[in-house]
Amino acid sequence: MTPQSRRALELVLDNLVWFMLLAVLAIFSATIPNYFQPGIFANIIEQSTVLGVMSIGLALVIIAGHMDLSVESVAALSAMAASMVFASSGIGLGVELTPGWLVVPASLALSLAVGAAVGLLNGYLVIKIKMNAFIVTLSSFIWVRGLVVALSGGRSAQNLADELRWLAIQRFLGLPLTAYIAIACFVGFSFMMAKTRYGRHLLMIGGNEAAAFRAGIKVDKVLMVAFLLSGTVAALAGWLLAIRTSGATANLGTGMLFNAFAAVVIGGVSLKGGVGALPGVYAGVLLLSAINTAINLMGLPAHFTQVIHGLLVLAAVLLDTLKQSIRKKLA
Amino acid sequence: MLQWGMVLLAGAAGMVNPAYSQEKGTVYYMVPTLLDEFQTGSVSALEMFLEQVGYEMTTLNADNKTDLQQSQMNDVITLAPKAIILAAVDFNALAPSVEAARAAGIPVIEFDRQISSTMSDFTSVAGTVEIGYVAAEQVERLLTEKNGAVKGKVLQVLGDPGDPYTLDIQKGFEEKMAAFPEVTIISQPATMWEASNAGTIVSDQLLANPDIDIVFSHAAHLSVAAVASLEAAGKQPGDVYVMSSNGAPVALQMIRDGWMQVEVEQPLYAQAAAVAMFMDKIVAKQPIEPGEYDVLGLKSVVTNEAWGPTIKIPGAAITADNVDDAAFWGNLQPPTEAVTPVP
Repeated sequence: MTPQSRRALELVLDNLVWFMLLAVLAIFSATIPNYFQPGIFANIIEQSTVLGVMSIGLALVIIAGHMDLSVESVAALSAMAASMVFASSGIGLGVELTPGWLVVPASLALSLAVGAAVGLLNGYLVIKIKMNAFIVTLSSFIWVRGLVVALSGGRSAQNLADELRWLAIQRFLGLPLTAYIAIACFVGFSFMMAKTRYGRHLLMIGGNEAAAFRAGIKVDKVLMVAFLLSGTVAALAGWLLAIRTSGATANLGTGMLFNAFAAVVIGGVSLKGGVGALPGVYAGVLLLSAINTAINLMGLPAHFTQVIHGLLVLAAVLLDTLKQSIRKKLA
Repeated sequence: MLQWGMVLLAGAAGMVNPAYSQEKGTVYYMVPTLLDEFQTGSVSALEMFLEQVGYEMTTLNADNKTDLQQSQMNDVITLAPKAIILAAVDFNALAPSVEAARAAGIPVIEFDRQISSTMSDFTSVAGTVEIGYVAAEQVERLLTEKNGAVKGKVLQVLGDPGDPYTLDIQKGFEEKMAAFPEVTIISQPATMWEASNAGTIVSDQLLANPDIDIVFSHAAHLSVAAVASLEAAGKQPGDVYVMSSNGAPVALQMIRDGWMQVEVEQPLYAQAAAVAMFMDKIVAKQPIEPGEYDVLGLKSVVTNEAWGPTIKIPGAAITADNVDDAAFWGNLQPPTEAVTPVP
């Protein structure tokens, strides 16, 4: 193999998920009526907003060699907290602030505080008490969702404050402002991972925690921040979810954890830690949204949609495995 | 000291549950989930009406898991309660548990979700298929109002495709709508009854089918997300008609706001009151006479079906004209008059 063709192949492998996304978009555009239109592509980006933000936090912890199963429940709790305070019907208290725009930072701060608290608790139990991250966050996944049910009594908080709904309704270049928040998160966290010392340390810890410790990296501190970020970013996802659905129900976000995992893995993050980049994760999220939109438009019998969704995700992960295999042969 | 502690604990328990000791015994209510307002409302309504006729009620939540509800049924059978009220997660999977309870001498009442594959002692339902029928009648009316004839496009947002409750509504709805060949029905499931899934379906379909006339979702909380998507797409109230089923408070609010045109109510209070009215007879294993009964002012009919005596209470269509009627459970004004047992 010539150096040029080898470089070309590596370029394809490094960005395989983006090529997969393009291929999927091309196939769906050619085969599904109404798929090829700017509105649908804007929808795909819009629908990836919540899942995308949630995937960022999950990816950070997985890259660090750990696990955070609580993100879905944290998002639900964050959405419920913001909605209970700033929604005006159901169990919403309809709190109004003066001036009105204060609702946005106040609800965001409330949501982020909720997520940060759970993230810190997860981090403390995993890092200081040395409990298994899988078990700790599985426990959080359960008790945090339970807290949502207990707080809400199973009822919903609806009619979110207009200042918050404005973020979902107001559009710029065809996309709602919430989509730009998600894109900004990906840009910011990608920069953090690629260009800052913290990002490099996170990758090193995920690759080999003992070696990172011997190299002088403050492993506990870095990991604690990763759990804190995961909880906080999941809470941001919940805040966006509440805005998207104009309130919160007790089952809001159910099932998102598995989609977030799928997006992270498709995006090239290794579940063993130490490998992965956030732009790939974003492509993974977009890929899932593209598939979901296609399923919505195909008018398939309801019972088959989950089967197809699952098989397409499996196919995407299979391609990723093939990529790893080719990469090994090249090495 | 220990004795004083126990006295205090007993006192505290009494304060936590004032209905601590009802003279007629304990009834267990197996609720499928506490994640939607109809179900949480059913717990408080059944508790209130059963207390009025002398029973204490304990509720077990199956969290939408069939196997968990089966285990709960097994556990409750060993406790030998006066009766079990079952709102089954899965209509067929719970049939053996119903048979086991009845074999142990415990009467089983089907609430809200009818099990027709085995005998039970009493069934109180609005009828999920019938909700679909009422919805179809309303679609017929709305399309005529909007398009001058029963023609157009309806987006039907189902709940989870694994939940027989939503499939029954779909069955009833599509059965009636088959009479109108000029109506196109697009059906998509909001998997796990999750609101944002419903929002996604609506925003996608609005692009693929911009001429959608009506969005009919199988639960009010799905309509909330549907309305959010309509709003995000620049629609005004009434541009696309919205309707759903179950009668939750949020739906009534959307009707008042003009976003929703129809909500098909499940008569929650009447369904629960009917259980309480017949509870003494059920516990005493006395026959329940077929015929017409007045349940909270609603004319309801008891029939002897192959699966046992069944009361069907009609679900009503809620519109802007009657949305403030206190009889609708979504207005959260429980009846003040106590129910009386059927002699």
